[in-house]
Amino acid sequence: MNLEYLVFMTINGLSQGMLLFIIASGLSLVFGVLRVINFAHGSLYMIGAFLAFSISSLVSGGSIFNFLLLLLVVPPAIAILGFVLEIGLFRRVYRQEHLLQLLLTYALVLILDDLVRVVWGGNPRNVPRPEILAGSVDIFGLALPTYNVFIMFMGPVIALGLWWLLHRTRAGNLIRAAVTFPDTLGALGVNVSWVMTSTFMLGCWLAGLGGVLMAALANIDLGIGMEKIIESFAVVVIGGLGSIGGALLGSLIIGLGVTFFQLPFGRWALVFPYVIMALVLIWRPWGFFGKPER
Amino acid sequence: MKSKSKMKMTVLFSLLLLSVILVANQAAAENIKLGFIADVSGIGATFFKSQKAGIELFIEEVNAKGGILGRKLELVVRDAQLKPDIGANMARELILSEKCDFLIGPTSSAVALAVTKVALEYKKIIYFHTSNAEALTTTDFQPYMFQVVPTTGIEGRGMAVALAGRQAKNYGYIGPDYAYGHDQYNAFVKKMAQLKPEAKIVETVWVKLGETNYSPFIPTLMAKNPEAVYSSFWGGGLSTFIKQAKPYGLFKKATFSGLFDLDLLRATGNDMPEGLVGYARCPFYAVDTPEMKAFVQKYYDKNKEYPADWAIMAYDGMIALAEAIKKAGTADSEKVVKVLDGLKFKSLRGDLFIRPEDHMANVGIYVGVTTKDAKYKDHLIMKDVVAIPADKVMLSVDEVKALRAGKK
Repeated sequence: MNLEYLVFMTINGLSQGMLLFIIASGLSLVFGVLRVINFAHGSLYMIGAFLAFSISSLVSGGSIFNFLLLLLVVPPAIAILGFVLEIGLFRRVYRQEHLLQLLLTYALVLILDDLVRVVWGGNPRNVPRPEILAGSVDIFGLALPTYNVFIMFMGPVIALGLWWLLHRTRAGNLIRAAVTFPDTLGALGVNVSWVMTSTFMLGCWLAGLGGVLMAALANIDLGIGMEKIIESFAVVVIGGLGSIGGALLGSLIIGLGVTFFQLPFGRWALVFPYVIMALVLIWRPWGFFGKPER
Repeated sequence: MKSKSKMKMTVLFSLLLLSVILVANQAAAENIKLGFIADVSGIGATFFKSQKAGIELFIEEVNAKGGILGRKLELVVRDAQLKPDIGANMARELILSEKCDFLIGPTSSAVALAVTKVALEYKKIIYFHTSNAEALTTTDFQPYMFQVVPTTGIEGRGMAVALAGRQAKNYGYIGPDYAYGHDQYNAFVKKMAQLKPEAKIVETVWVKLGETNYSPFIPTLMAKNPEAVYSSFWGGGLSTFIKQAKPYGLFKKATFSGLFDLDLLRATGNDMPEGLVGYARCPFYAVDTPEMKAFVQKYYDKNKEYPADWAIMAYDGMIALAEAIKKAGTADSEKVVKVLDGLKFKSLRGDLFIRPEDHMANVGIYVGVTTKDAKYKDHLIMKDVVAIPADKVMLSVDEVKALRAGKK
């Protein structure tokens, strides 16, 4: 393998990792504040993808504006769905034991997945890529899809945006305070429930964004939610539950790993994320950037 | 008093209902009933639409001429939902409750392998037109079935014949990681080694079943610069693979080939690159028989679209079945099965016969090059189509026997 190919594979792997990061960061963020592992996160991502398909078939045409419309409309719609779920269901289990939380989110997976089956049917769908992203970029004489490069740049933008939000705004201060000292925060007169609701909505917004990006990358079908939640779970275990930086690291390890290990190991590359996850659980159960449970 | 008259009414009504059912049953008993175990939904939906349209057209034509042996044909459809256990149950129901005389097979090979056992259990003839596991005619063969679709082995060997003739030494393969992919791949590799010993398979990429994002796999496939790539992806999976692989420049660097049936061509539309070498099981536009021309016309008039491969093969199976019933002079499977061995029939694809040893019709594949055609605005078709005849790519009778002996 020559150097050009190395760069080519790296960029390809990075773009896979960034898509994973966008979804997994939402899962991690929600856990950080709510202390609930939301297994329905994958289903929300899938709903986002199918919603993008429905809207794109209404405004048919490969113009970039149609695609921007999807990016502007779908993630907030999923966030609103998240609002309803948080107020109606999640709020009731925060103080309960983990098993009950697990049962709730798993039940939601079954309900939402069947809802998608009822509304959109079982056929594979996709969203056309906007024309200016449909071609390819030349890198050392090797062609790389513009769309994959676009996703690769979306990742850092989202990561920076989240960092800015969490570390440079009042809302971010409240969210971070809610992670470490929820009771103190409440005692100071801050409405902690509201902080939790908005964090959950932000997590869902990220799931919706991932859904739109995926719908134009590949075919979407009923299996994508389950597949992504398992991968995202591996990501947050590797990076540390609740840590955005950890989610970024975990996503990049998995994205690059799966791409690079294809060549020497063929189909065994599939087990790579889970081997890493198992190793991390043995060596550092709280992940690279996580903190041991108090 | 009031309740008495009500009672009378109920009795009268029941009698009326019963007599209607009796009459209906009598009418039904005269029909030859065909039980179609279909994969109606999910990834089977597109196939089913075409299969049903083909079968219904045949039934309409035959019934207009007074049926077979004076009996009309009637179709009963059940959904196997792509699941072998449901398929087997539906087959039992079609035989026992619906009293079907013959069965028509599904799309999924897994369902077909389950259903063929039920057909043997009740000694009812079943034919397969879309599901094409070679095992149906070898290790899992039973005499009450026949198959009019090229098997996975015929497809793999056929593509080896087609691609061995090209200027290429390094070959690549990408396909789904389950029986269909592996059967085709093994047949392809074995035939290629016979035809062109200097050929090398430089990369084999297996993609897990259900994966739709091919981005992590395409660079691997291209890393060793294969000059020709054979793929076992099909249908929606192949369509999205082509769309995803195009911006990687795969089609500029290598001759890519796969199953380019009409539904795939329609689904991929004008995203389909020109100059790919593909194969089809029954491309209506490339088969020049008067029967095919007449069929296409009638099909188009009725359904307002051209017949996909699945419609043609389902129709061909009906031709063979009808021929066998006429020859046997009865719709009794036990007697019809006796005329199946070596049965000759005039299919839309030309004269075919059913080989006695494995009840496989001598069907080959059609290989061509994708091209735009003024007649079809929304999709490409294949030009320079060559038929790769069955005698070049079918398993020999000895091979079939060896496979069966190996199982025991």
